[in-house]
Amino acid sequence: MILYDYILSPSCYKVRLLASLLGVQLELRAVDFHPGREHKADDLLNLNPAGSIPILVDDDFVLTESAAMLAYLASKYGPDWAADGDPQAIALQHQWLAFSNRLTATLGGARLVEMLNFEGDLEALQSSGVVALRELEAALFARRVSGGTFLVGDAPSIADIACFPYVALAPDGSVSLDPYPSIRLWMRALRALPGFIEMPGIHRLHELAQDPLAEPDS
Amino acid sequence: MAADTDARWVPIAVSADILNGTVVPAQMPKGPIAVWRAASGHLYANGDRCPHRGMRLSHGFVRGETLSCIYHGWRFGTDGVCQKIPAHPAVEPPKTINCGPVSVTEVNGVVWGAAASPVDPPVQFAGYNALRSLLISASVEAISSACHGETVEGVITAQLGGQGTILLTNVHGPDEALVIALLPTATSAQDRVKVSTALEALRRTAEGIGDAA
Repeated sequence: MILYDYILSPSCYKVRLLASLLGVQLELRAVDFHPGREHKADDLLNLNPAGSIPILVDDDFVLTESAAMLAYLASKYGPDWAADGDPQAIALQHQWLAFSNRLTATLGGARLVEMLNFEGDLEALQSSGVVALRELEAALFARRVSGGTFLVGDAPSIADIACFPYVALAPDGSVSLDPYPSIRLWMRALRALPGFIEMPGIHRLHELAQDPLAEPDS
Repeated sequence: MAADTDARWVPIAVSADILNGTVVPAQMPKGPIAVWRAASGHLYANGDRCPHRGMRLSHGFVRGETLSCIYHGWRFGTDGVCQKIPAHPAVEPPKTINCGPVSVTEVNGVVWGAAASPVDPPVQFAGYNALRSLLISASVEAISSACHGETVEGVITAQLGGQGTILLTNVHGPDEALVIALLPTATSAQDRVKVSTALEALRRTAEGIGDAA
């Protein structure tokens, strides 16, 4: 399976992250998104006329939306990561996947303005990003009250993976995550999962690794 | 000599939001702090700035009874003094390198901080426990009037979501305050979520967002 990938893209990272959590090997093709705009060149437009990345190619099967890639990887390699059977859980998962598009448009939009000098109304993007973060915080708080950690059900799912990267990188768009304790706990639980991988701006939990300064056992 | 305000307890966070072995950012009147809970469960706080390169220590990590900076790994003890500099493992850091410890204590599931050690413990609300915190871009007066509450020394009492709720406030600026809501300990899970939803509505009203304003 080939992933057309850009290291700084949170949407590409979603796919890399889920693949890693599932233990699936992806063949990565680096796309020069910035400054090369390679995703707007003919070769990639032939694969994805929308001119966006990531693009996932599995033999002749091509996907161009990251939420669909998460659903595909989960149903093929990790059925536990996608809700199944329970109509409400399935619907909630779809709802969070749709919500993740709002995160991309708002927090992701602010990030593109701040980091890559894209055109956009930074203040409007940031304030609509804060509205989305407040919704997520309230929803995760309600989950905590009933003993839950993740967005849907008892275990992490593609809903969490779809929402996590643009939330974690909100500070890149100068949106602070300080006021959201439930989001902080949720992100920590995701970063503690076995197989978790980093991207620039999202680091692993150092305290889970062996302490390099510890006195060696004698 | 410490100013009067230094020896005053300020509500800064909800205890349950700080797990063992984690660090979180918080605000004191004098600026940002890093609040961290050691593996033992004891709570500590210090300035949110590594004395080495100024990185926020709330981005760091906790191992055992120490807090480490994410940038170059400088490691601080419970007294705020630097214990280890990983790039110079053989060097014993001078005791003058410290990250400015801040007093913290926990009552009713609320974390309180003080720049100097106050003589008296923070105000107690018997039978109440912290629900959640939220940052509101409005003055305490606007927050109080949005919930038709009564305010005494920054503590608002109001009916929210059908429950008698206590709101502690920590003023961050003329139009920004952290609010920590307390509910009777026996409040059901369903009612706690109801009050959380009412707090969201309170915030929208106080900030003048939406049709209610």
